[in-house]
Amino acid sequence: MNASTAERFFGYDHAFAHPVTRGIVIFLASALVLTPMIFMGLRRTIQIAEATYAELWARWRSWIWISMALIVPILLGAAWVIAGVFMLSLLCYREYARATGIFREKMISFSVVIGIGLISFAVIDNYSRLFFAAPVLGIGLIAIVTIPQDCPKGFNQRVALGVLGYLFFGFSFGYLGLMTTDPLYRPLMLFLFLGVELNDIFAFCSGRFFGGRKLFPHTSPGKTVSGAVGAVVLTTGMIVIVGHFFMFTNTPMDRWPMLLILGTGISVFGQFGDLLLSSIKRDIGIKDLGHMLPGHGGLLDRFDSLVIITPLYYHFLSLVLGPLGHGQAERIITGGPML
Amino acid sequence: MNDWILDPAHDHDLLGIERHRSIVRESGLVSSTLRFIMWSILRPALKIWHRPRITGREHLPKSRPFILVSNHTSHLDGILLASLLPTSWRDHVFPIAAFDTFFEKRPAAAFAARFLNALAMRRGGAVNHDLDEMRKRLNHEREVFIVFPEGTRSRTGEMLAFRSGIGRLVARTTVPVVPCYLEGCFRAWPPGRHFSKPLSIGISIGPPMNFEDCSDDRAGWDSIAKRLKAAVENLAGRRQASSLSGAADQLP
Repeated sequence: MNASTAERFFGYDHAFAHPVTRGIVIFLASALVLTPMIFMGLRRTIQIAEATYAELWARWRSWIWISMALIVPILLGAAWVIAGVFMLSLLCYREYARATGIFREKMISFSVVIGIGLISFAVIDNYSRLFFAAPVLGIGLIAIVTIPQDCPKGFNQRVALGVLGYLFFGFSFGYLGLMTTDPLYRPLMLFLFLGVELNDIFAFCSGRFFGGRKLFPHTSPGKTVSGAVGAVVLTTGMIVIVGHFFMFTNTPMDRWPMLLILGTGISVFGQFGDLLLSSIKRDIGIKDLGHMLPGHGGLLDRFDSLVIITPLYYHFLSLVLGPLGHGQAERIITGGPML
Repeated sequence: MNDWILDPAHDHDLLGIERHRSIVRESGLVSSTLRFIMWSILRPALKIWHRPRITGREHLPKSRPFILVSNHTSHLDGILLASLLPTSWRDHVFPIAAFDTFFEKRPAAAFAARFLNALAMRRGGAVNHDLDEMRKRLNHEREVFIVFPEGTRSRTGEMLAFRSGIGRLVARTTVPVVPCYLEGCFRAWPPGRHFSKPLSIGISIGPPMNFEDCSDDRAGWDSIAKRLKAAVENLAGRRQASSLSGAADQLP
């Protein structure tokens, strides 16, 4: 492992070197400190039901944990992010598996765990070909692993559910780990998280403010067209401003069409991620996919927006800026071919 | 084209200790793996430490569901009976354990649920509800229950009266109930000791009994409890007789 890789994995001396990292951490810390004051102020000025008030506090407490779990590993180094993403993938798959019932097929779940391990290994090793081969390798394993049971009844369902879980929560979330191969992974990841989370908040606030027609009432009865449009407008605006002035200044991304595509993409596909998990829940007939985060539901109820957007974000930036992580030492464990 | 069956975990809404205490608890990959590791170590360890002498193994049913009932004198009883069954059934074999002994505190509840796969049986008013839930689970999910109808470990080694709860589980069902007798567990690990002594244990397994013809009411449950106790006592008598004759054979 060379000095640059060691710094990427474990170096935290320059954690706050980029202005976007500093700005987002300060913004989040301020928001978490100010929110309780807003709650207390709201309670004094308007009538809030006791249950709603308790729910707000539960959500705030969960946000403290979520923020810590997201920000601390990013600041500490890539090794912690990769470990965190590995755990996130496992826990999200677990929630999905328990909600859909695929957890009863232990060999399928075992294969998904192996696949998630393979993805994490490819990221640690910085072996991009292995990372991009992981879907087909993992799917192959999931498909063959129950054949020796000689029980073809339900084969299509169990393989399809396993593959879906693996692709969304193993491979798609694996891109969060893959981003750490780039030296600028801290601001890039925080920028994505900020966009996705603010997109949720913008959608909620716009929907409440304007109301109106439901977006997809059978899939997610709480969402409105005005909320979706408001989120697109506000998130795109935020991404364009932060991207132009702080994140991508003087890079090929610092052009209006690129920033507009990025902002719109984060908003639209963030919302589609949310709707995708809503569709899964409605099909099963449950309200929340889990109960790990009081006030939010399960981990997936919080991280659903990242399912679709994360690979798109990675590939769009790679397309415009050049491959993320280019120039870093590759195959640091397996070693490259001898030339 | 048939609808896909999407059946969430039956304990999907529960977290932490509430999940461990739940009668509808379902195991995932983590618990199953922990149990696999535990049984891989415990099975040979039991063979070496307690050298079980098993008679009537052929009476164990080859398919689920069924119930093993036995006399109860020690914490060894449940794991010895579970060790008679295939490791591949580890997520379907449930020793029924006292709530107040195993499920009051978090670490004990986590151990009982994750490793032993025990189901919590409360005492008092909640017992009937728990029994009804267990009966449903036994029939619908083809499980194996290990039940100690005395309700508690005997403090003297003498068999206590069988409670009628076992009757409530199986009356008017085709679920086979296999009577077993454990000899030597009281001497090896009596209540109050922290570890078991390396003494040989005798396990007698009787032919399965069926209570489809018994009425599902108080009288029927009592009669099932009595019949099962008689079957276990019969096994105990035969084991003691064979031990005596074995001892006599070994005389010079």
